[in-house]
Amino acid sequence: MSETSIDSASRSDDGFFERYSSRALIAAVTVSAIAALLVGGWLFPDSIVGTFADVVTSRNTLSSALRLSVPIAFAALGGIFSEKSGVINIGLEGLLIISAFTAIYVTDVTGGVWVGFGGGVLASVLLALLFAVVTIEFRADQIIAGLAVWLIALGLAPFASQVIYGGPNTPTVPTPGSITVPVLADIPFFGALFSASPSVYLLFLAVGLSWYVFERTTFGRWIRASGENPKALDTAGVSVTRVRYAAVLLSGVLSGMGGAALSLDLGQFTGNGPTMVNGKGFIAIVAYLFGNYNPIGAFLSTLLFAGLDAMQTVLQLQGIGVPRQLIRITPFVVVIVVLALVGRTRIPEAAGEHYESGEE
Amino acid sequence: MDTAVHLDGITKRFPGVVANDNVDFAVERGTVHALLGENGAGKTTLMNVLYGLYDPTSGRVLVDGAERSFESPRDAIDAGIGMIHQHFMLVDPMTVTENITLGNEPEKWGGLAVDRAAARDTVVDLSERYGFDVDPDARIEDVSVGEQQRVEILKALYRGADILILDEPTAVLTPQEVEELFEVLEELTAQGKTIIFITHKLGEAMRAADDITVLRDGRNVGTVDAAETTREDLAELMVGREVILDVEKSPAETGDVVASASEIVVEDERGVRAVDGVSFEVRAGEVFGIAGVDGNGQSELTEAVTGLELPDSGRIEFLGDDVTETSRRSRIDAGMSYIPEDRQDRGLVMDFDLVENGLLGSQHTPEFGPNGRIDWNHSREHAEAIIDEYDVRPPNADATSESLSGGNQQKFIVGREFDRDPELVVAAHPTRGVDVGSIEFIHERLLELRAQGVAVLLISSKLEEVQGLSDRLAVMYEGEFMDVVDPATTTEEQLGLLMAGEHPDERATGSEESPQPERNAASGGEHA
Amino acid sequence: MSVRDRGRAVLERLVGASATERILISTAALVLSILVGAVLVLIAGRMTTCTANEAVYYFGTGFCYDPIVVFDRLFLGALGDPFSGGWSPDGQFSVTLRETTLLLFTGLSVALAFRAGIFNIGTQGQMVVGALATALGVLWVSPLVSGVVGTVLLVPFGIVVGAVFGGLYGAIPGLLKAYADANEVITTIMLNFIATGVALYLVSGAFKDPESAANQTVPLPEYAQFPTVLFGGRQDFSLIALAFGILAIGGLYYLLEHTAFGYDVRTSGIQPDAAEYGGVDAARTIVASLTLSGALGGIAGAMYVMMVLGTFQTGFPDYGFDGITVSILAGNNPLGVGIAALLFGVLKSGTTVVQFATDVPPQLVGVLRGLIILFVAMPEFFRLIGKRVTDAGSKPVATDGGRPGGEDDE
Repeated sequence: MSETSIDSASRSDDGFFERYSSRALIAAVTVSAIAALLVGGWLFPDSIVGTFADVVTSRNTLSSALRLSVPIAFAALGGIFSEKSGVINIGLEGLLIISAFTAIYVTDVTGGVWVGFGGGVLASVLLALLFAVVTIEFRADQIIAGLAVWLIALGLAPFASQVIYGGPNTPTVPTPGSITVPVLADIPFFGALFSASPSVYLLFLAVGLSWYVFERTTFGRWIRASGENPKALDTAGVSVTRVRYAAVLLSGVLSGMGGAALSLDLGQFTGNGPTMVNGKGFIAIVAYLFGNYNPIGAFLSTLLFAGLDAMQTVLQLQGIGVPRQLIRITPFVVVIVVLALVGRTRIPEAAGEHYESGEE
Repeated sequence: MDTAVHLDGITKRFPGVVANDNVDFAVERGTVHALLGENGAGKTTLMNVLYGLYDPTSGRVLVDGAERSFESPRDAIDAGIGMIHQHFMLVDPMTVTENITLGNEPEKWGGLAVDRAAARDTVVDLSERYGFDVDPDARIEDVSVGEQQRVEILKALYRGADILILDEPTAVLTPQEVEELFEVLEELTAQGKTIIFITHKLGEAMRAADDITVLRDGRNVGTVDAAETTREDLAELMVGREVILDVEKSPAETGDVVASASEIVVEDERGVRAVDGVSFEVRAGEVFGIAGVDGNGQSELTEAVTGLELPDSGRIEFLGDDVTETSRRSRIDAGMSYIPEDRQDRGLVMDFDLVENGLLGSQHTPEFGPNGRIDWNHSREHAEAIIDEYDVRPPNADATSESLSGGNQQKFIVGREFDRDPELVVAAHPTRGVDVGSIEFIHERLLELRAQGVAVLLISSKLEEVQGLSDRLAVMYEGEFMDVVDPATTTEEQLGLLMAGEHPDERATGSEESPQPERNAASGGEHA
Repeated sequence: MSVRDRGRAVLERLVGASATERILISTAALVLSILVGAVLVLIAGRMTTCTANEAVYYFGTGFCYDPIVVFDRLFLGALGDPFSGGWSPDGQFSVTLRETTLLLFTGLSVALAFRAGIFNIGTQGQMVVGALATALGVLWVSPLVSGVVGTVLLVPFGIVVGAVFGGLYGAIPGLLKAYADANEVITTIMLNFIATGVALYLVSGAFKDPESAANQTVPLPEYAQFPTVLFGGRQDFSLIALAFGILAIGGLYYLLEHTAFGYDVRTSGIQPDAAEYGGVDAARTIVASLTLSGALGGIAGAMYVMMVLGTFQTGFPDYGFDGITVSILAGNNPLGVGIAALLFGVLKSGTTVVQFATDVPPQLVGVLRGLIILFVAMPEFFRLIGKRVTDAGSKPVATDGGRPGGEDDE
């Protein structure tokens, strides 16, 4: 009996009827809205609906949705590993920031994009390690410690950029370019899937692998047990501490990949205000909550958020008259609306709690 | 016969407490050995020493004749010891098979994947061998408590346990499931397994065990052959003095109906009816008791009456008003006192001192919080009065409730709720975890209130308590009242049958509502 | 008794005591963050370039930044260099007090929510909304009055407007949490982004000052700003505002400790189940505390507009996030918020001095902020150190601790 995304876990939810229906509702509204848009656009190609339909079906939209998904989805995967093991990692945003900066810095110094990518991942892992030590070893409150991780990175990355480059923004470095699969890339719309940055393919791989780890491997089971009933795992002779360390470090690896991909795909780190990461780590949290801790679910809900973001970019290019500043906040509004409708998701039983093995 | 386990002179000290004091304990292979004692007698501590969870302060642990030193449960498991904890160590959203194999999953592809087919086969084989009835693919959260317990036992057997420790295994089971468990134990010992069975229930020790060791205050006060001892002897060993639980009680002088409930239905999170159409009324000056095995809907019913949970349907009246949907605060203000089942979650704020805790529920009353401003001087006097009157120790109003022992916490709550000048007292397990002296004291107070014309709704799983104190007694089973009886003219056996969901007089006819007693012992799974 | 023994006894008592322990941990966290910060400055000093003359040498290695200078400037500079003569109240010291005043309000905002068991990360957004509302509201009515009368009427009016709008914005996550069970950590963070976005939209469009290149409103008239008393006004600090902040500390303390509402808030903050049992309406308490918390954040925004900037401008400083640090450092105690706000005010004000005197980027304080939160969040770490120091050399003695009740009940 394998778990499939949304419906299986909601079976166990408290009051799941309500939740199931709201999840289904959101999905149904999205699908029917798109369908209506497409039909409308086909019937009246010259109307505003037609323009919208064009935007939705545009290859550019899918292509930029995928690109925008990368940091969010990677961070969401990381968040799943951590939280499923019982450690709520609200510091994903910080992990993204630190890796985004470090990736550019290392690329700049070494000249190698993939070396830079590795550097970004390493920075994120180190910060995740700090978070792990503080929460697992020293029993810090997970939320507060996660917040600290975010704030440290939020200060550290622009600080370093200022020291090294004399400003919060780095100079540009070469990007990894994109990989195009011949023939397949020419398919209309879906062709975007076959002509993308290597990070997009890495993401596909990561989503699949994460799913496999949870559903098929011993380690995945241990993570689940560690988050649901750590004592059961402990009495079965598996060290909860080690499982949680591994899971939090994995969240560092995955978020690091997301952050590095984010900056390297643009070739620059911008560190003004909330930095270029700009809340993606928090959207990732909502994405995996909405995806019910399933890697594939989290990826799909990320696509939903990123799709919105992508549409606004394309719409802007087409000069549709909605103010840029307002369009920019739509993902955040959507997150709140989704959260309000979904309400309390079934978080792992022991998430947020410190676990102490044995006596003393 | 040889000795499977020998604990030699075990002493375990915690700061300020000696939990085990030079205990000798030996178990013969292939037998069921009950470890009997009151709550806090040190049974669980002793078994945690054997299971490697605690290091003994002094003493030796011998398994199969060899001295062992267990650093962790893992070592104990490797030595063939399995423990079934009182609170199951199961992962609810995972399946039976996943739980049994957790930590020892069979793998394939060089460890890259769990061999799920092999895991399932092993579980099926194992349950067939011992005659267990479990569904390997069911999720833990979907199966009955009895089945969860069998999963726990299978988990230990899967790990190769020869010696099984069961910590209070019957606490959460229905009488029917208890019988099934005992049959399982017989089957296990027949196949050479050794069982240690921790319990505080005399009858169960007598029924299921070959030998019984009694612990009192951390000491071994005697090991006896179950076949050659009597309940009276065991009771005396356990308690150290003869306990008289008979309560002197004057006949009830009942007045008007103070509170009533009609057709109350409360559904739990899964939509199962935890309370299924219960009706009753409590009159001034009477104790209305609700007996039953824990988990048959008493908690949900209590919360609905006290305003902590909204019933899904039905009507609750208090002093003639419909209060079904009114707030908790309005019920407190109207004169409803409540001694909650869970004193550390509900009844007290653990980090608050007793002055602040004495205020809980009264913070908005004109007496303590006139105009929204709290009168701390008066609150202090109030707390000190409770401490004095109810002999709360240490007598320090500035102590946090967390620093008090369980019994003293309970006395403080009882004092606070009784002193509220209530019209109705809802008392849920008022003497749970309280020492014998305090039990008598609380019982006396409860009857005093009754004599003053207060209505009392008493919920307890202690049969002697509800039977002794109640004027009318309802027995609750699977969310329904089996019957409301006169406790004075009903025997303990009749009550026991009602608690198990059977009507004594309908037993022969086999009425449709009552579960069939001769139902196959192993078919669990219907339990809500 | 040797000095060492006595010291150990003192430490042992301190480690045991809870209130003292709090203070000790906060102090230790602060010191530790500064140490880490010093290392960071050293590392940064290796990564940048400077002439050999400018460099300082530690452990035989040259560094471009000197942490001792940095922290000297940070602390002494922030206090206006009290030891070097020529101290004047309207120097850097008044900047420190200005920052302290603003941090008092954001710190109290976070602390109040925390005491109710709610993690309000949205003080930042509530402050932005309050500030914008104050600026627009005051601009709207300011033509009606003028002069001293104008000040007497407009300043309190501005504060009320800020409080109301900040409060309403705080009520949103409160309602979402109370009635839709939406996690307030996420919603408040999202609302921060939304507040910033909407504010940008408004002041870059409809309410933009046509004469300014920046995204800001028309400047408030002079009489609609906080009057300066004692301090020379050059540093945008008003003693009246600080006095109001101190009043707010007392007010919040009284509210929490001496009113039934405060009792409800504290009870639901530490043990929601017991609060429910004690007749506390959980939903209402959540909404009320977040609204009040938002109002305090809104007041901080109003202060910033009417005392510091004299207009609303985008790119609002992070006082809201600093408020989290202040509150956590203060153990969420209103009285502690006063001290923590002053400490953090020193840090913030000192940053500019540091930037002036050295080349160390001002983001250093942002890092320190995160580090302080991190360290305060791990009391276990300091307890361990405390234990290790007290245990060193002393034989373990039988402690008579009395076991906490309840654990052996079952």
